[in-house]
Amino acid sequence: MAEASDYELLDRYAGGDEPAFEELVRRHQKTIYDLAYRMLDNHADAADMAQATFVQAFLHHTTFRRESSFRTWLFQIGLNLCRNAIRDRARQQHENVEDLPLAAPHDTFAVTAAAQARDRLGSAIRTLPERQREALLLRIYHDRAFAEIGTIMSCSEGTAKANYHHAVSKLRRVLVADEGTRELS
Amino acid sequence: MNCHDIQEMTVPYLELDLSPSAVRQVTDHLEDCETCRVDMEAVRQVLVRVKGRTVPDPGEAFWQAFPEQVRHGLGRGSSAGMLYAVRWPLALAASLALLMGAWLFAGIWDWGGRSDQFAGASKSSSASKHIAQQDEPDLADMDWEREWDDEDPDIVLATMARRLDRATVDRLFRGI
Repeated sequence: MAEASDYELLDRYAGGDEPAFEELVRRHQKTIYDLAYRMLDNHADAADMAQATFVQAFLHHTTFRRESSFRTWLFQIGLNLCRNAIRDRARQQHENVEDLPLAAPHDTFAVTAAAQARDRLGSAIRTLPERQREALLLRIYHDRAFAEIGTIMSCSEGTAKANYHHAVSKLRRVLVADEGTRELS
Repeated sequence: MNCHDIQEMTVPYLELDLSPSAVRQVTDHLEDCETCRVDMEAVRQVLVRVKGRTVPDPGEAFWQAFPEQVRHGLGRGSSAGMLYAVRWPLALAASLALLMGAWLFAGIWDWGGRSDQFAGASKSSSASKHIAQQDEPDLADMDWEREWDDEDPDIVLATMARRLDRATVDRLFRGI
């Protein structure tokens, strides 16, 4: 039997079918968590954000006009939530330097995040402008076509491409400069 | 096609996002230009390294529990959502309740004030009619004596009290 489409599962969920809800979440949970982790750089925030993305999607599923795939819609919601979280984080950091770490100290994934923070490429990606970073993540890690990236980021396909190209160029410059510095030292 | 054009097309070339004719032009240029070849390889390395960055897997237990977490969040979210949806009717109802409360409160207050006014008016009227009986209520229109004969005096007093204004009652029962 063919696998039910996301739209069919959403219709079944709207009709009170609980297994459809679970199937939809399981189908996309890893993708959305991956996006959230790459945007927020720690497990605790990524888990919260992934959960919030699904909650928002199911709460407002009647407003989903089905002009894109359900996954694209999830990406849109997830990216918006991540943007807000990053801005909140920046505000918190600005307000109180004492509260810098977002992740709880007992967060085992923070160890990995800290290790990643040490590498140059990771910090270069993190310092990319928001739109460039989003285009890069969606293209490289989620294999989205530029047209879909444009839909997700609410911009044209050309703008999505430009953001992606700028991101790659910037990373290249950073890495070249880094390697030059290493060779000098 | 010069080196600057090739630089502009490096990423689309690696992303296979060029027309076949453009791909052919870039490939031809790369065969003859070592600078652009090195540049192209550098960008390819960047993409490979970025692509190679992995996200730590939180583990099977996390994924198993995840739908339930969403369901839990949805439960909280939906009640919050319902509250959000009815926020204006709620605000209106609360405002109306406050207005009603204020009106009732002010009404009681005003009634008290008016009673005092009536008491004053009653007192002045009494004073003009029965100057000698200032401490007594104005009961000229009442035929109380008949009631005293027929009823229990306590009940008659209570009935009188119900028909009198507050100031008069206070005066009547001041000594009790």
